[in-house]
This record gives sequence, C-alpha cells and structure tokens, in this order.
Amino acid sequence: MSNLKNTLVGYATYRGREGHYSFLLHRLTGLGTLLFLTIHIVDMAWFYWAPDMFEEALRLYRSWPFLIGEIALIFAVYFHGINGLRIAIVDMFAPSKWAIAAERNAVRWTLVGSLILWIPSAWMMLSHAVEASKGAAHLLTNLGIF
Amino acid sequence: MATREVKISQNYETIAWKWMRYSAILLIPLVFGHVLMQDVLVGVYQMDSAYVAKRLSSWFFQAYDIALLGFAFAHGVNGLRQVLRDFIHNPKVFRVVSIVLFIFWLAITIYGGVALVMATQARLASL
Ligand code: HEM
Repeated sequence: MSNLKNTLVGYATYRGREGHYSFLLHRLTGLGTLLFLTIHIVDMAWFYWAPDMFEEALRLYRSWPFLIGEIALIFAVYFHGINGLRIAIVDMFAPSKWAIAAERNAVRWTLVGSLILWIPSAWMMLSHAVEASKGAAHLLTNLGIF
Repeated sequence: MATREVKISQNYETIAWKWMRYSAILLIPLVFGHVLMQDVLVGVYQMDSAYVAKRLSSWFFQAYDIALLGFAFAHGVNGLRQVLRDFIHNPKVFRVVSIVLFIFWLAITIYGGVALVMATQARLASL
C-alpha cells in the first residue's frame, strides 16, 4: 500500500514543470484511451457476436453524454499521439536532444499542435450532432436523451 | 553536451520498450486516420449496421481494422503494464500481473479479431 502512496505523492509533488505535466498528461490520456478502446473493441465485436447489442451500443454512442466523452477522447488521442511521436523520434534517432530547455519548448508546441487538430475536429463533431437533430422536435430527442 | 554510449543487453523489457516506440510510428496513420474518418468526417450519427457491413466488406478496411486492433491494443496494454511497474515493486507480484494482463490482452484481441474476420465471411456466405 505504501508503494501506491509514495508513487502518487511523487506524481503530485515532483516539480518538473513542463516535462512533469506532459508525463502526467501522456499517462492519463494513454490510460483513458485504453479504457475506451477496451470497451470499443468489445462493442464493435458485437456486430458479429450479438447484433442486437451492437445496435444498442450505436444508439448509446449517439447520446449527449457520449458526444462530450467523444470530444474529450479526441483531444486525448491527439495529444497522446503527437507527444508519443515526439518521444519515439527523440528516443530512437536523437537521444542527445533530451535537454531540459528544448524539452520545455517541445511540450508547449505539442500542446499547440494538439489544439490545432482538436478545435476544428470538435467543431465538426458538434455540427454533426446539430445536423442530426434537425427535423426532430427537440435537439435532445434526437441525441437520445429522452 | 557530453554523451556516453551504454550497451544494454537485450531482454524482454528492452524489447517491450522498443515495441512502444516502433508501434507509435505505425499508430499515427492508423489511429489518426481512423479517428478522422469515423468520428470527424462521417460521425456516429450516420452509422448503423448497414454502414459497418459496407465498410467491412472492403478488404482494405478489414485489413486496416485488423492492424489497428493488433497494434493499438497491444500498445495500450503494454503501456498499462509500464504504468503498473511504477506501483508494484515486488518482481514476483509484477510477474503475475504481467501474465494476467497478457491473458486479458489475448482474450479481447481474439474476441475482436474473430468478429472482424468472421463478419465478412458470414456475409460472403449469405451472398
Ligand atoms: C496515436 C498514436 C500513438 C502514439 C504515437 C503513442 C506513443 C506512445 C509512446 C511513445 C509511449 C511510451 C511513453 C514512454 O515510455 O515514455 C506510449 C505510452 C502509452 N500509450 Fe501510446 N501512443 C499512441 C496511441 C495510443 C493508444 C490508442 C493507446 C490506448 C489504447 C495508448 C496507450 C498508451 C499507454 C497506456 C501508455 C503508457 C503510458 C506511460 O507509460 O506513462 N497509446 N504511447
């Protein structure tokens, strides 16, 4: 149990600024994406194993809470992907470039890049939701809340 | 900056470390392509069984999805193992956890993989 506490206290109190935050964000986004991916593999596999449940899962994906989750997930995937690519390239081809000042800059650019991809994506996803709601009595009806 | 080359012997963990990095480069086109197509361009509101059937009847998307399943899920589960290593310091316990994660990975991969392969075979048979 003390392992758990020591490690978590370390995560919270280590003061490595940008490098530290990007480590935490990479971890969190990786684990969050894995949680979703596990559910997603199972529900998509229902296409073959359980077609009724598959339709039910698709209905759920069209609901309002899932739209918010989906938009958050997209950010997680973009950040984790760009940051992961950065880590992989530096580790494999230029390990001597792991210097603190450069790292701090790179973290900021990674965040900017993720936002540049995410903002138009989120906007498009929201407009799909609004479009889907057209013709319905109420936006929320078509989003599957009521 | 002064650097020093250190020879590291190959073992399971160094291979796993490299796996995370090689798979990362493949995952960019696979994962970003999937997200851009399915979530951003098409969107979940246009998806139903007919859409999925049509998509999977193309050998290209079937192969694409199989690659995505194989690489992304293995990368993610090994990543989880990497995170857990920070919390579990007893090598015996960690070994057990690794084996449990491996079985978990294998079971989900087979469940999804069979569906991807059979979905099209079942449809071909019904044509
Ligand atoms: C989009 C392309 C992706 C790239 C380029 C990428 C890259 C990376 C890299 C390089 C690492 C190792 C980090 C390190 O050891 O310091 C990593 C860790 C990880 N990745 Fe990914 N990844 C991608 C997609 C995914 C996906 C889809 C998932 C979820 C299933 C995922 C889950 C994880 C987890 C859980 C870790 C461990 C986090 C940690 O050690 O802190 N990744 N990723």
